[in-house]
Amino acid sequence: MGEIWRRILPGAGGWGHCGTQFGTDATSLALLALYASSSDSKVTPAELAPLMARQLPNGLWPAVGDRTAGGNLWATAIAVNTLMVLGAAPETVAASLVALVQSRPLEASWLVRLKFRFSDRQVRFDPTKYGWPWVPDTVSWVMPTSMVLIALERAKNRGLIHGGEFWYRLNLGAEMLLDRACPDGGWNAGNAVVYGVPLRPHLDATALALAALRFHYHLHTVNSSLTWMLNRLDCPSAYSLAWVILAAAAYKKVRSDVSPALDIARDRLAILVGDPRSVEDTSTIALAALALAPETAINPFEVEM
Amino acid sequence: MFGGSLLAGTGALAVRRMLSAGLVRDRRRARSRVAILHEDSYAGPLHRALMEGLRLFDLDLRGKSVLLKPNLVEHIPGSEVNTNPRLVGAAATAFLALGAKTVLVGEGPGHQRDTVLVLAEGGLEAELRERRIRFVDLNRDEVRKVPLQTSFTGLDCLWLPRTVLESDFIVSMPKMKTHHWAGVTLSMKNLFGAVPGVAYGWPKNLLHCKGIDRSILDINAAVPAHFVIADGIVGMEGNGPLHGAPRNLGRIVLADDPVAADFVCTRLMGLNPLRVKHLAQAAEFLGNGSPERILHLGEGFPTDTQPFEVLPEFAHLRP
Repeated sequence: MGEIWRRILPGAGGWGHCGTQFGTDATSLALLALYASSSDSKVTPAELAPLMARQLPNGLWPAVGDRTAGGNLWATAIAVNTLMVLGAAPETVAASLVALVQSRPLEASWLVRLKFRFSDRQVRFDPTKYGWPWVPDTVSWVMPTSMVLIALERAKNRGLIHGGEFWYRLNLGAEMLLDRACPDGGWNAGNAVVYGVPLRPHLDATALALAALRFHYHLHTVNSSLTWMLNRLDCPSAYSLAWVILAAAAYKKVRSDVSPALDIARDRLAILVGDPRSVEDTSTIALAALALAPETAINPFEVEM
Repeated sequence: MFGGSLLAGTGALAVRRMLSAGLVRDRRRARSRVAILHEDSYAGPLHRALMEGLRLFDLDLRGKSVLLKPNLVEHIPGSEVNTNPRLVGAAATAFLALGAKTVLVGEGPGHQRDTVLVLAEGGLEAELRERRIRFVDLNRDEVRKVPLQTSFTGLDCLWLPRTVLESDFIVSMPKMKTHHWAGVTLSMKNLFGAVPGVAYGWPKNLLHCKGIDRSILDINAAVPAHFVIADGIVGMEGNGPLHGAPRNLGRIVLADDPVAADFVCTRLMGLNPLRVKHLAQAAEFLGNGSPERILHLGEGFPTDTQPFEVLPEFAHLRP
């Protein structure tokens, strides 16, 4: 935790990825790591202030810098999830939850769906099943969709959001993830098969999608993806391995092979971040801190059942 | 086939009209310089070959910060997807030997979010550690808002990494590959990796939505590479940039103009650069494509080029 405090930005506060520029992702993850480690599990309003200050009038967050960068759906989802985990006042996230539900990718337009159906057909996917894009006015991808689903599930369990549109997007988002899975399990950015060739899954995308699809643990796609992920614990990157641990931890109760795998993964991660000063990206340090936190600590990416 | 050629031709015509209307500035110099180096394998003395090649250009690098921008997509065991790490390492050492103040290597992979994993699995991390060269993840660098010089995409600005904007000398180091969306991926397409994922996501989908060819032009007009070292020792043909077949070309291409470099590389691949849409347009204002305006240093153009395989959609690129 000392390393995370050392990296706090001077002046306005918050955290950046590698330099001195505010990053919503880095700040959210750093706050979660501090929260998971604190004995009274409290983050002060002053510590939350830099994150709150970046919220745009439309409820979205920019990914980096001040508020001039425009909204980013991944950044918004991770910020909203963080604020809910940290117990921020419900009214601070209400507008953002609505903005997430109302935000549509390009495939929501029938015209774009028609294009994917009849002319732009090299990537295999069902354009009627859509989730969320990284930035507005683009198409949906696995990682932002996963993070939005995690945030919306948490909001649902806390009674912060209701309505038919919310349920529709929640179900459609899960269908989109299942549709974009790689043929032999796992996920990448969202292109499972291109020009008839299956593309390889990525560990971080697989972990996020599994975290989002925890309710669907009984499905073959989810199970085979979990198996694929647990067979790659020799990963040389702390960033991916931390995501693997956080995602897999949610499946301990439904798969007996998860707990022993988690022990191996945590030992390996501890070695990879043995010298945290050598890890440039603050998000990676914070993710590793969360993944190595005692199992009694809250897992901010576990969808509550 | 005819449609693809027509598109490239009408695109070039559109740029000519923009030039005459003063909407884009003609940046072409009188002549550009290119050197084709013969190198059969990555196990050879790459550093020596690069030093000899770079000396042909008489570059003034004293006191300059150099950024090497390789093409890293993801690691696929047994496949030549990325710019070879030995070539990147050799280039770093060569630029330091030629007087550069600093040499950094920077890249922002567009598909794989875990840059550290791409570096480690592909061997570049070990290569750079051994040579004590720093790597910058351009996907997570600090970003600055940069007004665009051209408006092919309709965007008025791009967020770009501080490291790219503050470097004195940017070297694009592409892998010579066919590309299933753009036809070829060379030094100009390689600059997609200078657009930060932290701002635009993985992949940088806004650029795809605005049109890959148009985005290539806007990015290269905003942050032009000063030099090119193209890895054509082993290239990729067919379904590139990830799942094509390796193609032993045995060449490294050096150039002081990305457009000239990409024209020569495309010809080395046995394809017609004037039928690659973004190249045909770039040659109207960004750099030189015409053989009369490209001076060949070192060995001449080989006479025995066998065209690279391409997907049926790009059959028009072949002679």
